[in-house]
Amino acid sequence: MTWWQILLSGFEALREYIALHVLTCLVPAFLLAGAMVTFISREAIVRYMGAATSKLRAFALAAGGSFFVAACSCTVIPVASGLYFGGAGVGPAFILLWVAPAANILALVYTGAILGSKMVFTRVVAALLMAFLVGGVMALVFRKEERARAKAVATNPVLPRERLMAKSDMFLLLLLVVALLAPNYIVQRGPYWQKVIVWAIGMALVFGYAFWAKTKEEIRRWMRETWWFVRLIFPLLLGGVFVVGIIGALLPEAWVTEWLGGSSLRSSFLATLIGAVSYFATMTEAPFVHRLMVLGMGAGPALALLLTGPGLSLPNWLAIARVFGVKKALVYVPTLIVLGTLIGWIAGLTVLR
Amino acid sequence: MRIEILGMGCPKCQATEQNVRKAVAELGIDAEIRHVYDPKEFAKYGVLVTPAVVVDGQVKVSGHVPTVEELKRLLRG
Repeated sequence: MTWWQILLSGFEALREYIALHVLTCLVPAFLLAGAMVTFISREAIVRYMGAATSKLRAFALAAGGSFFVAACSCTVIPVASGLYFGGAGVGPAFILLWVAPAANILALVYTGAILGSKMVFTRVVAALLMAFLVGGVMALVFRKEERARAKAVATNPVLPRERLMAKSDMFLLLLLVVALLAPNYIVQRGPYWQKVIVWAIGMALVFGYAFWAKTKEEIRRWMRETWWFVRLIFPLLLGGVFVVGIIGALLPEAWVTEWLGGSSLRSSFLATLIGAVSYFATMTEAPFVHRLMVLGMGAGPALALLLTGPGLSLPNWLAIARVFGVKKALVYVPTLIVLGTLIGWIAGLTVLR
Repeated sequence: MRIEILGMGCPKCQATEQNVRKAVAELGIDAEIRHVYDPKEFAKYGVLVTPAVVVDGQVKVSGHVPTVEELKRLLRG
């Protein structure tokens, strides 16, 4: 194969992705991301987490609240460290660190739009399970340090000064989720223009409601945040799709089937490792996994990659080590790699068969 | 006037610093601008969501990139 053909397959992958996904998937997804940042108070969520008194409650709040904090693995670190240094336990802090990138609403809805509801459901359950386990491991390993810290830092949890979100915001977010899902669920087979029509109706409803319920200033802020996501993530997405297109041309399908196919423990481990080392911005993992699955990746390994892809990356290991200390990073990262491998393997043999 | 920008070097934090510098230049005020990268220091100010802007020890903005206009209003007041 010549380099020209290889390059061409990269562009072919890009063309296909842009034609099929940008309008009906990405536009609503970016709008949803912008709306989440603008209308949901991340600060209020994190303060609720920090104020939880019992351990179980703190864990549950951290896992549940993180669903609404859409963030890449890099941006969630300051939030988690704020929670930790503000007096919350090491368990909840690391749960937030894991769940916010691995299973936030945005990533989940987007996964659903591209990979279907079964995968998304498994992803939610797996992410939550891993969250509780990794939180438990962290709390157990560092229990001495935690006890000392609890004494030293007089925890005076500050309850949220502002509310989580207004009712009208919640309705707008709900509309956006529906607008993102509808084209891909209502029109599962059938020509693309049908999707576009469903998409257009969804968008009309979203903007109709927004202009009726929100002030101009709020809409302007929402658009600014949306634009931020477009600028940060869109190039990464395109780059990722291009790279997978090239990988697909270079790697014989037999190779992908051999190393990432089926539901063996080895495939799951390799997929976990790829995800844990390389950097995926929120949402970029879905098209990447989708293309690898077309090439023959098994469903179990795909789940493992979906989980660790956005949740872990080499730069994020280093940042965690810098902020929380090398020891915590050395417990956190291997724990997640083991859990990801096991969960991908088990899910591949059972739920995702 | 002492202005601190809290952020771990994310693109939004860089944009915030740029906007702060622009606002200060446009207002022609004398300010010492510092970019704080250490999240342990964020906790001292009670800031959870970055980027944040702290003016003379008081948190003025947290969680979004302030526009130049917003900053000018804030620094003037």
